[in-house]
Amino acid sequence: MHLTGLPLATLIQIGAVLGALVVVSYILKLKRRPIAVPFSKLWERILREKEATSLFSQLKRLFSLLMQLALLGLLLFALGDPRTAAAVLEGRNLVILVDSSASMRATDGTPTRLDQAREEVRKIIRGMGGSDRALVAQMDASITPMSTMTSDLPTLEGAAASLHGTDTRADFPRALRFALDTLRGHTRPEIVVISDGRLGDARDAYGTVSLGETKLTYVKTGARARNAAISQFSVRRYPLDKSRYEVMIEVANTSEEPLDVELSLFGDNNLVDLTKFRVGPKEKLPRFYPNLSGASRALEARLSLANGERDDLPVDDHAYALLPERRRAKVLCVTKGNTYLEAALLLDEYLDVHTVSPGEYPVLQGEFDVTIFDNVAPPVAKNSGHAFYINPSGKDSPVEVKGTLEDVGFDTWEKKSPLLRWTAIADINIAKANKLAIGKEDKVVGGSFKGPLLVMGRRGASRFVALAFDLRDSDLPLRITWPLLLLNTINDFVEEDTSYISSFRTGDVWRIPVPAESHDGLLTMPDKTTRTIPVLDGHAVFVGQHAGFYNLKAGVVGSEVETEFAANLSDLEESTIGPVAELTVGDVPAGPLEGFKVGVRREIWIYLLAAALIMTTLEWVTYHRRITV
Amino acid sequence: MGIRNLIRRVSLPPPSIRGEDDLFDDEFQRKLEYLAIVSRRVFGGRMRAERRTKKSGSGIEFADHRDYVAGDDFRYLDWNVYQRFERLLLRLYEEEEDLSIYIIVDTSSSMGFGRNKKIVYAKRLGAALAYIGLANLDRVTIVTTTDHVMDRMPPTRGKQRIFKVFQFLRAAHADGTTDLGSALKTFVSQHKRRGLAILLSDLYDPAGFEQGINVLRYNKFEPFVLHIIDRYDAKPALRGDVRVYDCETGDEREVTVTARVLDKYREAYESYLEEVKLFCTAKQVAYVPADLSVPFDEMVLRVLRRGGMVD
Repeated sequence: MHLTGLPLATLIQIGAVLGALVVVSYILKLKRRPIAVPFSKLWERILREKEATSLFSQLKRLFSLLMQLALLGLLLFALGDPRTAAAVLEGRNLVILVDSSASMRATDGTPTRLDQAREEVRKIIRGMGGSDRALVAQMDASITPMSTMTSDLPTLEGAAASLHGTDTRADFPRALRFALDTLRGHTRPEIVVISDGRLGDARDAYGTVSLGETKLTYVKTGARARNAAISQFSVRRYPLDKSRYEVMIEVANTSEEPLDVELSLFGDNNLVDLTKFRVGPKEKLPRFYPNLSGASRALEARLSLANGERDDLPVDDHAYALLPERRRAKVLCVTKGNTYLEAALLLDEYLDVHTVSPGEYPVLQGEFDVTIFDNVAPPVAKNSGHAFYINPSGKDSPVEVKGTLEDVGFDTWEKKSPLLRWTAIADINIAKANKLAIGKEDKVVGGSFKGPLLVMGRRGASRFVALAFDLRDSDLPLRITWPLLLLNTINDFVEEDTSYISSFRTGDVWRIPVPAESHDGLLTMPDKTTRTIPVLDGHAVFVGQHAGFYNLKAGVVGSEVETEFAANLSDLEESTIGPVAELTVGDVPAGPLEGFKVGVRREIWIYLLAAALIMTTLEWVTYHRRITV
Repeated sequence: MGIRNLIRRVSLPPPSIRGEDDLFDDEFQRKLEYLAIVSRRVFGGRMRAERRTKKSGSGIEFADHRDYVAGDDFRYLDWNVYQRFERLLLRLYEEEEDLSIYIIVDTSSSMGFGRNKKIVYAKRLGAALAYIGLANLDRVTIVTTTDHVMDRMPPTRGKQRIFKVFQFLRAAHADGTTDLGSALKTFVSQHKRRGLAILLSDLYDPAGFEQGINVLRYNKFEPFVLHIIDRYDAKPALRGDVRVYDCETGDEREVTVTARVLDKYREAYESYLEEVKLFCTAKQVAYVPADLSVPFDEMVLRVLRRGGMVD
């Protein structure tokens, strides 16, 4: 037996002082209260009979004193926190990893798998031994410890209560590495994984996680697997008609039975389309909705079973997307007259085009987003915005012209450049082009082996794109590539990106562009709660855990810029919710939960305290029933 | 014990707190008048103003004959009897005189014990009986006693004197030890005229309640015991280890009070009451237990029904 609380010497000192106090109190208690009576002769009559029992009465009082001293002894012993030698040496150290990924929100638990997991955590911590310690951690896209490594039951119960579900997938290898790091150097290390087992391989960039001597225990949650999910949801505006858009939705059936589903598409909360169809077992069914109109901003897809029932995982039955915001761009076209150019600009009704001759430039009134210089390169006025040069030349050209190229085509190009999206420039024939000498920080978007033909860069605060040849010296105006190139360039300048990401994926690190001067942003979550998130290099950084629509406000006070975006689970692995019977890490199978019995605690002080409580109750009852008085 | 008694005397509450402020208020006086009327109508046969004494003398009510002896007044010779029997017999008439009623109120500390109710009850009961006596033209004397005669209101007659009775009783308060034997010996030596002696007491006499009553009996008084009983005396609010002391004598006893002890105490109390009753019955002393739970006017009627007061 070891005392892990107060040392023995201290206990003896406290015991001596308190014991003396008890005895003194007992002696004081023996001094009786004087009570007046009207006629003491009446008492004398009965006292003659009572005297025969005085010895028994004294014994009872002695018993009362002994009981109080025993009570004191028990309390002092409890303060010493006595433990058996085995309990002191062999305490277990547990890291309880609770899966809080999206699949744990399946409704086949009590009521959800996460609730069931929470209850399992409570069972484990209530069944812990006196010297066992545990840490409760939430495992989703990240790993979040909810408590310290402790044996304090209320702390661990509080940690269990604070577990919450997310719409992300679980990063199992990361959680295992966290647990192993936490348990390093502790005796009897054990990792308890409470999950449905849909955790994937315990493998990351460093390889498969090695558990070493650490014991792995798996507590399974969940039972059913019936689920249909929206596994992909994407929307984009048509580049040449931004009032219209198309939607791609992929519906997956992750269960072993065919499911009849009903897919609803809402635009700005109005029903746009409703479709019923059957999805076979393990089938993924993509559906396209081309040429849609009507919605200006928010799109939502909802999936339900055709018979009106809910599947087991409601989280993936919703998907959200936001269409890129539209605004009218002001374009100044400086040209002597170019039908190809002016015709291409007519394709986008959201362009506000103002055409002037080179002699009329600069235009003193108005601010322009983009100025297109067709075969001219005058000094750029401050109100011109970004510049698109077609066949620039002269001293004010952003790039120096050093000769000409003849009979060239695009031999190389930047495939991922936003300027060339949806274009095919491989077989464009160019009769004559300027040979451009680009600056150090300029970027060649496309060119021939002889020289660059399409260049982009920055001059001061403005960006520019330069096309090295006159349109009429090539067959480019005859191809669909030309208006696409032109409109892509304008969109790139006005930051209306047709490659706009209609939704983020939960669990990823989101980098949302915000004004560069911002230090932080105010993010409004789908549940309308707000939080401040940091801004790094012009991007607000946030690990999103919940699907839905978000709003981010950032910028200088008074001129904040609001950005809206959507987030979706879109993870077929998480939508596959059939629980796994056995969990393995590498080749190591997880064992069942052992050695936790609810109600059995190894801390002796608890029993000592309980005994003291019982004795106090006994003393109280006997005192008030006049047994020991 | 002296210090305790001193403290008790100093801490004796004033009349307002003792509940004696309205001792003889208008309501009380109205009840007295009612009791006086009831006593005349209901108990009229036994409650006339004129009381017959055993003394024969100059009254008009014929009592008996006796043989003539030399020196007797000729005017009382019964000539009709002489004519028929030729014997000289003298007519005897009952002499009428006032009945003396002595109301003896025990004012020892035990009468004021606890809630001070016994002394208040005794005072009101005494005042009521005095009023009835005064209304019937009896000579009423009131005496307060402890272990000696504390105070005495001289004999008085006529119901207009009731306020003097009130004044006298108001001044009395419970204080002192009980010794009825000693006190009543003094009483009988001070009152040569015999009569009805109404004793209002809780009879908590350490020397024994019998002594006082016997003193009255042996001195030809007609004792009438009104035993003041407070049922709360039988149910003391005691628990645990206590040291009980007598509120009069200061005698101490250590006792551990349990439910069983309390039961035994109750039995002892009842036994004591029974002893008093049996003693009075055996000695043909009129005895009425005056329980505080009975309203005083009802108690007066009980006393009148008992009848010993005026027969």
